[in-house]
Amino acid sequence: MIRIDRLRYRYRAAQPLALDGVSLDIERGGIYGLLGPNGAGKTTLISLLAGLLAPQDGGITIDGEPLAVWRAVHPAAIALVPQDYAFYPMLTVAENLAFFAGVQGLPRRQRQENCAEAMAFACLEAVAGRRAGELSGGLRRRLNLAIGLTGAPEVLLLDEPTVGVDPQSRRFMLDAVKRFAAAGRTVLYTSHYMDEVEAVCADVAIIDHGKVLTAGTLADVRRGGASALRLTLVRPLPEALAADWRARFPAMTATDNRVDFPGLASDGLAPLLTELAAAGVAVEHVAYGAPNLEQVFMRLTHHSLRD
Amino acid sequence: MRDWHGLAALFIMPAVFILVMSLALAESLSARQGIAIGYAVLDLDASPVSRTLDEQLGQTDVFTKHAPPSGETDARRRVEAGEIAFVLVIPQGFARQIGANKTPTLRFLLDPAVPRALREGFRQQAEAATIRVWLTHVLERLGQSMMLPELRRVTERVGAPEIVSEAVGLDGGGEVLAPPSSVQQNVPAWLIFSMFFVVVPISAVFIGERQRGTLQRLFTQRVSFGFVLAGKFAPFLLVNQLQAVVMVAIGRWLVPLCGGEALVLPGGASALAALWLLSLAVGVAAVGWALFIASIAHSSEQATVLGGAGNIVMGAIGGIMVPRFVMPPAMQPWTRLSPMDWALEGFHHVMLRHGGLSDALPVVAALVCFGLCALLAAILLGRRARD
Repeated sequence: MIRIDRLRYRYRAAQPLALDGVSLDIERGGIYGLLGPNGAGKTTLISLLAGLLAPQDGGITIDGEPLAVWRAVHPAAIALVPQDYAFYPMLTVAENLAFFAGVQGLPRRQRQENCAEAMAFACLEAVAGRRAGELSGGLRRRLNLAIGLTGAPEVLLLDEPTVGVDPQSRRFMLDAVKRFAAAGRTVLYTSHYMDEVEAVCADVAIIDHGKVLTAGTLADVRRGGASALRLTLVRPLPEALAADWRARFPAMTATDNRVDFPGLASDGLAPLLTELAAAGVAVEHVAYGAPNLEQVFMRLTHHSLRD
Repeated sequence: MRDWHGLAALFIMPAVFILVMSLALAESLSARQGIAIGYAVLDLDASPVSRTLDEQLGQTDVFTKHAPPSGETDARRRVEAGEIAFVLVIPQGFARQIGANKTPTLRFLLDPAVPRALREGFRQQAEAATIRVWLTHVLERLGQSMMLPELRRVTERVGAPEIVSEAVGLDGGGEVLAPPSSVQQNVPAWLIFSMFFVVVPISAVFIGERQRGTLQRLFTQRVSFGFVLAGKFAPFLLVNQLQAVVMVAIGRWLVPLCGGEALVLPGGASALAALWLLSLAVGVAAVGWALFIASIAHSSEQATVLGGAGNIVMGAIGGIMVPRFVMPPAMQPWTRLSPMDWALEGFHHVMLRHGGLSDALPVVAALVCFGLCALLAAILLGRRARD
């Protein structure tokens, strides 16, 4: 288990804390989703896990050992796949893999095996001799991932791994991440695409302003939000009915043709539809139930713009 | 190393630079050829004495004589148009003044863009020719009074004194060295200058790595910053040495093909070893400096400004653009601040003064120390930035 315990980090004395007492338990052998708006502290947390930054307060342990001790024994066991294309565009795909495997000081045979496995894993054999700078966006993403695998890591830190790729490449990347985790290895997955996180992660944490807002299994996090009703009407809600509903349901919001009732009990649904029919307003779409991850995320992070 | 365009620029630009500078400065620095700067004589006296002065001035082969102007207005127009640089105006009554033992006043119209050294050179030649004309006149009169007509021809027979130039070497043994050609003087200076421009490709590679996140990835793979820098130091040092070989080859073989004088390499194992060590030391200094700039710059623009401007300042202070001896005395000690000055001195010891290994070693040591200190500073700054 990767245990992050009351981790605090501040870049400069005058700046607010980038991480303010973050505690998380990440089980080995699964995909853990790390969500948060821009500036929430995700990159800082990943940098601490990758060893790029040293913890100032609190700590990180892996299998009960402090991160630095564990990494000294397993130097290639944590790999970071950054959001940027972190390789040499002038080198070919094979040369990039060989270079990044080479700098890790692995024995030659293991280096070659790891490169071959990484290339096969990301299906890059057909472009092994092509310069990385000439690859399409999807192939670059796959090379970026493959380079992260050259050290045969136990823990993979993926920072927005599907940004800017077409749906096919995205599907490939998600399947690849699942395959990696299926072999008993751990993935920490950050993304702004909530549907991706819902598709691949068993556990998630949402952080903002350096604090963990919620963490747990995906089902638990979604259950944490009360059921809600969203009605999409063929025309805007009549003013008289809107005034009546606002008086009865203070949390209700109406925007254009859409009406939201957060925290509505299931027995309140039918009377509302009856009242709409009586007012002569047809309903185009009804959505009721537990919120999806995006709704939970938006509710917890208060919808506000961060950049 | 795969950035072929960057590497080509690193070789082609200095090659063109050395070729152009060697050919452009060949005439101005050669003792054996005239200077393309032209002059004319406006003889308002039109006397046999003034014609003699005109002829005397024409005997010097330093400046190129042009057809006389039709009058002062024409003279001024031709100077203003840049056709000629100087016009010597011989006033009316010049012969009469010489005859009366009075000092004649000659006027000297000049192009203000002409360097002061050339201006003074022409003025002194005109003065010397005038004195010779006056001396001829005095001897003629003396010959007449002493009934010795041959005195008149003394100045014609004696002619101008010849001064043979000999360069002074470092051996102290009085070996006669031919004065260096412009190629001999220029190639080391521009070679050093070019080698320091390795800062541009190194910064581009380094900043690209940082911006793409490649450096971060390497750090997560437990690669130290020192190792990252060392990985650039060795290949770029090799590129630098190839650059030196290409530059020397251009001076040795291409410049003469284009009409310039060939670069002469010093003979003997000691001098050649000194030359190679100097080139290696300049490479260490240049690559160390480049890595330092690359590690403190946050963007390619910053690196270009810091590296490019830094090199130009180092070149200006270090006597690359303006030779140290031409600088004002108060400024000359400042040249010692620039590693380019140290390198230039080393190359001059070996290539111009025919020094050997022992003469080059202090310069080599200083340059290597500079390069290693810059590298160390880059490592420390990089480490601090990571922490």
